[in-house]
Parts: sequence; C-alpha cells; structure tokens
Amino acid sequence: MLAWTPFLEPMNAMQSVWYLLLLPMVFGISVVYRALREKQYATYWRSVAIMSGQVVIGIVGIAVALGFFVQIVIPLLNQP
Amino acid sequence: MSNTYSNNDSISINFTAIVLGWLLPGLGHVSVGQKRRGFLIMGGVLFLVFCGALVGGIDAVDHNKDGLWFIAQVWCGPVVIGIDLLNQTFIAPLPIADKVTLVGLSHANEMGTLFIAMAGLMNFVVLLDVIQAKRGEDFELRSHAQDRRAS
Repeated sequence: MLAWTPFLEPMNAMQSVWYLLLLPMVFGISVVYRALREKQYATYWRSVAIMSGQVVIGIVGIAVALGFFVQIVIPLLNQP
Repeated sequence: MSNTYSNNDSISINFTAIVLGWLLPGLGHVSVGQKRRGFLIMGGVLFLVFCGALVGGIDAVDHNKDGLWFIAQVWCGPVVIGIDLLNQTFIAPLPIADKVTLVGLSHANEMGTLFIAMAGLMNFVVLLDVIQAKRGEDFELRSHAQDRRAS
C-alpha cells in the first residue's frame, strides 16, 4: 500500500472489499440525478440521501435473493 | 384531430449548452443560468470520474481494449479522452513486465471502468435535460414554471 501511486496504479487494496465501492458510486449517481429532478434546493441533500439508501437497499436485496437462489434453491433442485 | 400544441410548447434546442455540457459536465446548465444545478451536476459527475480513476487507475479508460465501455465513458467529454490519452501514451506501449503493476485486474479494473461509465451515462442524461432547459430555471424557479405549464 505504501508503494501505491494514486491514479497511475489501480487500488488493488480494494480487491477483497470491492462491493463497498457501491456506496460512493450510488452517492455520485444520486447527486447528479437529484440535481436534475429535485424541485427545491432545501430538500436536495435529503433526497440524495434517500435515493442513495433506496438503491443500496435494493441492490443488497437483489444480492441476498440471488445468494439464496444459488446457495439454497439450486442445490435443493439438484438433489435426486 | 386538433393540434393542441401552442407556440409556448415548442422546444428550442440550445446547441451551445449541449456542447458546453459535454466539454465540462454541468457547464451546459450553468450557461443557461441554472448555476446551482450545474455545479451540483459538475461535482457529481467529476466525483464519479475521480473515483473511477482512483480505483482503476488511468487504465480504467482504454478505447482499444474496452471499446464498448469507452462509448459510455466518452459522454463525460474531454476529461475522459485525456485519461485515455494518458493511458495510451504512458501505459499501453510498455512491455507486459513493466506494466503489470499499472494495469487494473479483476475488481479494481471492473469497478474503475464502471464508475467512469456511470459518469458518462449520467452526463448523457444531463445533456438530454439541457436540451429543453429554460434560461434561469434553477431549483425553485423550475418548479414554479412546471406549475404554470400544468395550469
């Protein structure tokens, strides 16, 4: 990590926790999208936080459902 | 069937704002007087590009090896073309032994590429919005204008 040169070298330290990068990605997307859709600036950052939370919860839900299907349902279907 | 459109409904396309919005994300909205909205867009898109280049390195943009991704990324404008130029100039020509630590592998490369692709696609949405953006309709003013059009 000490020898890492930002931007020139990829951040390989994130390989094992890559899914945490979902958080800044969702935040950035929400900032742009709510800037287009929000009608009042007073509620802007609250809307960004809500949208970020909704997307993260949605993706985590899909991941749990897929995990359940792959880890439990498919092995059950394969049993003779 | 009668034509229900009035002259007020006609859409005037602001090509200058579209070009400015591509040159620097958010600048299109700033140019039509929506400064706060434009700077928020600029911050959001550049944040995504910054994160992508940080996570994946400048190898996250490569028009030769990731051509389809580049189509999505290039909507961010010259900043992405500049990253690609740096990649093609400094990393791509190196022998494999030299660039082994400079090229992103697995998740680092995937996430870096995805970050910048999402930035490009979001800026594409922004450019679609700026097509019909009215001058000076920043946050509160846009909602008032929408109410006026609805009534």
